[in-house]
Amino acid sequence: MSDIDDHLARTMDLPGAVGASLVDCATGLALGSAGAVPGGDGEAAAAGAAEVLYVASGRAPFASARPNDAIEDLIITTASGYHLLRTVPVAFGGQLALCLWLDRPDGNLAMARRRLAEIADDLVRPRPDAPVGSAA
Amino acid sequence: MSETGRQPEIAQPSRLLSQLADAGETGTLYVDGGSSGTVHLIDGRVSCVESPAAPGVGALLTTSGRLAEHTWQAAVQTGAAGHRVGRLLVEQGHLMQSELELCVLGAIYDAAFFVLTTAATSVRFAPGELHWLGRVVEVEVGALERETSRRGRRLDEIFPESSVDHAPVTPVPTPPVQRVVLTAAQWELVVHADGRRTAADLSRLLGRPGYATLQEVRRLSAAGLLRNAGPPSSGGDRGAVDAPPDEGASAVADPDHGVTGPDPVAEGESPTRTRAATRREGGHRRQRDPQPSGPNGAGPVDAVPDDALLGRLRAALKALR
Repeated sequence: MSDIDDHLARTMDLPGAVGASLVDCATGLALGSAGAVPGGDGEAAAAGAAEVLYVASGRAPFASARPNDAIEDLIITTASGYHLLRTVPVAFGGQLALCLWLDRPDGNLAMARRRLAEIADDLVRPRPDAPVGSAA
Repeated sequence: MSETGRQPEIAQPSRLLSQLADAGETGTLYVDGGSSGTVHLIDGRVSCVESPAAPGVGALLTTSGRLAEHTWQAAVQTGAAGHRVGRLLVEQGHLMQSELELCVLGAIYDAAFFVLTTAATSVRFAPGELHWLGRVVEVEVGALERETSRRGRRLDEIFPESSVDHAPVTPVPTPPVQRVVLTAAQWELVVHADGRRTAADLSRLLGRPGYATLQEVRRLSAAGLLRNAGPPSSGGDRGAVDAPPDEGASAVADPDHGVTGPDPVAEGESPTRTRAATRREGGHRRQRDPQPSGPNGAGPVDAVPDDALLGRLRAALKALR
């Protein structure tokens, strides 16, 4: 099991979690997934999530109302569920999104949002004690 | 599969790759002698793909400033022989395992888009030959094929004109609309598109994945903001045509030069260099750009006044950064 899968498995521990995926925003590719997928088509769901984020960041004025402001997450609620799209800025090669689908009766939106932010952070944040540039 | 081994043959890379995957082969597939790319298999699954059109793992990590150049080089020198460069970077605490996986996965799909869409050409499979990066992630050949065709369709949905994929591009002097909204990635492309650089050049310069760059070039072209600069002047033309094969050849032959060949951030690299600093100096550090300080009027002959205006615009934009 890859480290990416481990992180996705952690999101699936959240109450009401139905499915999770890690999407490359630039290309709409799912780099990993766990559980079920909205619509049953993983590729379409990933491409759709990337599209939604692209439109939100490019077209919506509130997405960057101030300098250095950026979208942290998008939350879409439906009658039966919650969809959280958490942006994951990556130093190399663009931006990812951690996407979580929650069942509405069991899911806790506030808790899930906070937890998802932590997991997204763990995915790409170097440990503070890591040596930098001192190989060999 | 043994007859596909030693001798080069003419075949469609994607077809041969499927056969190798079905047979559970381990080794390296050289496409067009390696100048169009390489695909590395472990037990029939893809562990690494390289293409001159897509920045490799080393270029992505160093151009972005995520890893210092000397950190990367040291890992390559120490770990290449044992095929454990990736593992070494994680063990030494330079990268997290998840970061390495993300970077390698992204690089595999990115390079695969260019290698798998190569038409029938000279291909050669070297059984048992492993990549020095080591086993980090593995991707099914079928998944690569599906994603590659999805990406191709996606490009044509954005703008069904493939000529901008390979030609030098330049911003139009006057936008076709009164108000223009760009993403940060698009802005960087517009600022660095100088009428000599192609999408592949821009992706190397900015350390951005090749396909993502193509996609933005097509989006900007569809919006009428970027255009094919046409055949460049003789100097620029030579650079654009000659550079990729050179780079590909050395990438395959020499692991010391990183995944995509000649080191993108070699001279005077500071470990603390910021991404912005790297970008700003990009044009001056690239050997592929022989006239960084020259006039910007090297475009088509019939567009000299436009290019002069464009030069001033570009200077003004750079001053704003």
